[in-house]
Amino acid sequence: MTCSRCRTKPVIKLPNSNISLCKTCFLKYFERKVRKTIRQYKLFKKGQHIGIAVSGGKDSITTLYVLNKITKPQRTTKLTAIAIDEGIKGYRDETLKFAKKVCKELKIPLETTSYKKEFGKTLDQILKKNDIKPCTVCGVFRRYLLNKLAQKLKLDIIATGHNLDDEAQSILMNQFKNNITASARLGPITGIKSDKKFIRRIKPLYFLTEKEIMTYAYLKNLATKYDECPYAKDSYRDEMRTLINNFDRKYPSSKHSIINSFIEILPLLKKNHKKTDINYCKSCGEPTSQEECKTCKLIREIK
Amino acid sequence: MKIIAIDERNDIEKRLDVASIIEAANKLNINLEEVIITKNNELVTEKAKIKENDEIKFLSVISGG
Ligand code: SF4
Ligand SMILES: [Zn+2]
Ligand SMILES: [Zn+2]
Repeated sequence: MTCSRCRTKPVIKLPNSNISLCKTCFLKYFERKVRKTIRQYKLFKKGQHIGIAVSGGKDSITTLYVLNKITKPQRTTKLTAIAIDEGIKGYRDETLKFAKKVCKELKIPLETTSYKKEFGKTLDQILKKNDIKPCTVCGVFRRYLLNKLAQKLKLDIIATGHNLDDEAQSILMNQFKNNITASARLGPITGIKSDKKFIRRIKPLYFLTEKEIMTYAYLKNLATKYDECPYAKDSYRDEMRTLINNFDRKYPSSKHSIINSFIEILPLLKKNHKKTDINYCKSCGEPTSQEECKTCKLIREIK
Repeated sequence: MKIIAIDERNDIEKRLDVASIIEAANKLNINLEEVIITKNNELVTEKAKIKENDEIKFLSVISGG
């Protein structure tokens, strides 16, 4: 077994084909794939100010690293790392320490805010007193705070570390729960262009698998061992991941097929689920589809 | 042949008598979609040849958060 391109020792067999690549060829392949996604889906323009949501995990740190590499020669494009500290002891404190270190090395400014500062309690404290699903609260609060921070920093766009596996899981989860409206909000670029208060999201790693990202992160020293949230276990998403990966092992390319077929129907989904009017929360003024945003509702409900 | 196999996610280290990396993964109940593999601390594919006393590490690619 040798690298399919240069015949030296391979470090990975690409998940979607019979191609094996050596370190040099794989790094090139990976970066080319990110560039292609940016170009094809017009994720951002030169001269924009891009916020990168970093958690300190391998996906977000790799996004930061690769975007920095790609935009550096452009000079006019500005990058700022943004982080939300949910307050998860033994996990987020460690990953954020790592994010800080990488930002310093790459000379990218890092802006942080926390649940404690914004809501008065950490996620650990909330979960101790309330019987709610961790990822539900966490997802709502994080999206809210990222958007708020992005407005404050006048960012044009927020890049996240979402990968092909995350997206395939979300697509099937939405199918299994008959929630197509949620699927209409997926894709490599999301959000409403015309809304001043909602900062659009982009996913530069959209077409790369978790395995490819981990390989890149390992080769570039961008991975920590604190890469799994203690609350992530046994969630619905976790089961979906196992299901898809077992399937992919048995029937190769299943995962890529989920994404490729989804990308084809996505324009239709978006058209059918177009938002006519955007509301602003009556309590906090942030964009929402309802009268009051999910964050304000949750804050009132939790003890 | 006997190798040392390490499943980092579950903190398991075992001496296994296997002929290939794929066989070792099967014995440890590891899905090869969910790991990258090092052989004596060098990144390799699942098809890499192994020999007596090699240390094979399975590093989880799964992240949450
Ligand atoms: S796994 Fe769930 S609880 Fe943990 S950081 Fe992610 S969304 Fe939050
Ligand atoms: Zn090569
Ligand atoms: Zn609100």
